[in-house]
Amino acid sequence: SVSSIVPESCLLIVVGLLVGGLIKGVGEEPPILKSNIFFLFLLPPIILDAGYFLPLRQFTENLGTILIFAVVGTLWNAFFLGGLMYAVCQLSGPSLNHIGLLANLLFGSIISAVDPVAVLAVFEEIHINELLHILVFGESLLNDAVTVVLYHLFEEFANFEQVTILDIILGFLSFFVVSLGGVFVGVIYGVIAAFTSRFTSHIRVIEPLFVFLYSYMAYLSAELFHLSGIMALIASGVVMRPYVEANISHKSHTTIKYFLKMWSSVSETLIFIFLGVSTVAGHHYWNWTFVISTLFFCLIARVLGVLVLTWFINKFRIVKLTPKDQFIIAYGGLRGAIAFSLCYLLDYKHFGMRDMFLTAIITVIFFTVFVQGMTIRPLVDLLAVKKKQETKRSINEEIHTQFLDHLLTGIEDICGHYGHHHWKDKLNRFNKKYVKKCLIAGERSKEPQLIAFYHKMEMKQAIELVESGGIGKIPSAVSTVSIQNINPKTLPVERVLPALSKDKEEEIRKILRNNLQKTRQRLRSYNRHTLVADPYEEAWNQMLLRRQKARQLEQKMNNYLTVPAHKLDSPTMSRARIGSDPLAYEPKADSENLPIITIDPASPQSPESVDLMNELPKGCGGLPPSPEEEDEEGLMMRVKEPSSPGTDDVFTPESNSPGNQRMQRCLSDPGPPPEPEEGEPFIPKGQ
Amino acid sequence: SVSHSQITRLYSRFTSLDKGENGTLSREDFQRIPELAINPLGDRIINAFFPEGEDQVNFRGFMRTLAHFRPIEDNEKSKDQDGPEPLNSRSNKLHFAFRLYDLDKDDKISRDELLQVLRMMVGVNISDEQLGSIADRTIQEADQDGDSAISFAEFVKV
Repeated sequence: SVSSIVPESCLLIVVGLLVGGLIKGVGEEPPILKSNIFFLFLLPPIILDAGYFLPLRQFTENLGTILIFAVVGTLWNAFFLGGLMYAVCQLSGPSLNHIGLLANLLFGSIISAVDPVAVLAVFEEIHINELLHILVFGESLLNDAVTVVLYHLFEEFANFEQVTILDIILGFLSFFVVSLGGVFVGVIYGVIAAFTSRFTSHIRVIEPLFVFLYSYMAYLSAELFHLSGIMALIASGVVMRPYVEANISHKSHTTIKYFLKMWSSVSETLIFIFLGVSTVAGHHYWNWTFVISTLFFCLIARVLGVLVLTWFINKFRIVKLTPKDQFIIAYGGLRGAIAFSLCYLLDYKHFGMRDMFLTAIITVIFFTVFVQGMTIRPLVDLLAVKKKQETKRSINEEIHTQFLDHLLTGIEDICGHYGHHHWKDKLNRFNKKYVKKCLIAGERSKEPQLIAFYHKMEMKQAIELVESGGIGKIPSAVSTVSIQNINPKTLPVERVLPALSKDKEEEIRKILRNNLQKTRQRLRSYNRHTLVADPYEEAWNQMLLRRQKARQLEQKMNNYLTVPAHKLDSPTMSRARIGSDPLAYEPKADSENLPIITIDPASPQSPESVDLMNELPKGCGGLPPSPEEEDEEGLMMRVKEPSSPGTDDVFTPESNSPGNQRMQRCLSDPGPPPEPEEGEPFIPKGQ
Repeated sequence: SVSHSQITRLYSRFTSLDKGENGTLSREDFQRIPELAINPLGDRIINAFFPEGEDQVNFRGFMRTLAHFRPIEDNEKSKDQDGPEPLNSRSNKLHFAFRLYDLDKDDKISRDELLQVLRMMVGVNISDEQLGSIADRTIQEADQDGDSAISFAEFVKV
């Protein structure tokens, strides 16, 4: 089929050409890709999408390589090309003689930058292995700083009479200002966004808006000061992502993902179509020498640059870049719409040969996108370059990766070598100690990464299970906790997906009823009086402990799910529910998933009997603990000693009595009606 | 093998760590390294340096263990498989890591050993049950021969 041969970007350009031709044929003036539309509206979504979903681990591992390619490579390209073009111009006679060195250098700097849009468009389709992808893509993102500096530098210089050494040095310094300034702006906005997301638990609907808004503001602010907007955008996306994802609801996360993908797709399409239209519409000035030599030297510069830099970089890399890799990197240096727009911005007064530049740039863009874009896929297959492995990250990988990280950090410390891992470890520690506390709401801030990852996986599996309708077919190999977690989760998810069929609902109700039944039986023999009696105190404390743990577990799970604030009014539930006691626990709307224990309402104690409605795991009751619990599929509450120091940060050994007192308190007076709150992390009341 | 400059550097590090100046390192010398103290796997790494039952490691042993972590040289890759595998080959590195998990040296990572490592990495705030379920899931994912433990072959595959 056509799309397997021709990359999408090419087709879009062709469509643009056709549309432009059509419009011109009708006699109208076709619209040209105006630079400010491009830079303000079309480019940011693509960059934000790339930055937000940047695979950070690979990116930082290869950061040195990427930076060298981006900075040194682009500089080399610019100067080499500019210099050579100047020579060509001087040599080629009267038509080109008047183009000065600076103009040529400017031209070189515009066209030397690898374009992220084009790279993304082509590389996405060939599924190349991650290393190469991140190298070329990272380079295309980071070279924006160089391009911006060079562009403005040469543009300014072209107006000067004399260019002094001081100017050059200042220009060199301005590079650092632009790039680091851009990153700085991005980081600030990222932090602000993360901080904002900490408080959005009550207004879940507009959470995605903050992500988009702050990122765009970062971009605009950076562009305002002539800093690198692209770097700001990427920095803000990268910085805000871990914290925002910890804070926002699952739905918001999905929204953000799909909106970003949608916008970037639309932008990309528009960009390529406009390129096609502008080609037809623009004023062109074709000069064979100039254009052909530009094309030629572009390719040579790229290849030479990659070769020399790789030779240099390979001395420092552990995983070396093979010649195959180098070829792909060189071949993947596509130019795109950024170059076109930058040239379009040039002022006619100072640069009379702008049209010629434009023509040359368009030719190069067409060549790289069409020729290189189309042939890269067969070449990749021919050279048998390693393709991307489409594996989902398993918990094994996560554990072992962390393990190896710690191991390597330890070894590095023994060697006294402040390597890669050492700094990464320091950053992680700083992150855990200070930053996470500020930027992540509530309990999540203390959650180790491993646990968070695990929860994510469990939840994903639970949702998949529900969607595939396989409630009854829970694999037996999954641990008991997982089973328990999946089961109750089907209920809140049920509300999220109202499409669950009738018989599934019936199944769920049946499961719950059975569970409830069991606990009810259990509690018949338990009444208030037994609480006071000493022999049961021990068992009671254990029960409290287990409840606490179950609660914590449940809370952490439920943090990911958006649960509407209203109570579920299934008949089983309302029958079970009588009152509640917020003194002991804050009952939540979603807590009805787990079986509810009620104290027999006919208890002699008080008419308004307070029941301990909560997610009491099955198997908890003030009864002789061990034999009963053993055969219950409870939340894996293997009864050990009540608490061992360090396993439960809520219950300390001394808490036994206060907990006990609390229970007595709660049984003697009814508490105020419960206020369910959605998604609020449970903070256990003071001991 | 290891380059000359690397050896010199490691030797100077060795001597700076060796406070007793008797040419060997004891466990306390390692524990004096501050970053190692906060590394969750610190103790295990230290133990890996000391051969069975001994309490001192000389420079040769020090180097030998560290040599595991040298990057793989190109010429060694093309060496044929006849001779003993170079110390820093990928499988030896993985074996080293595996040994850090597998304390009782039965060539399997059992659920308990996994739990211990998880506990060390995760800290004290997580309940045992949660860790247990994570360990179960991990074993379930990696275990292919159904023995509820991770053997070295399965470990390598991950």
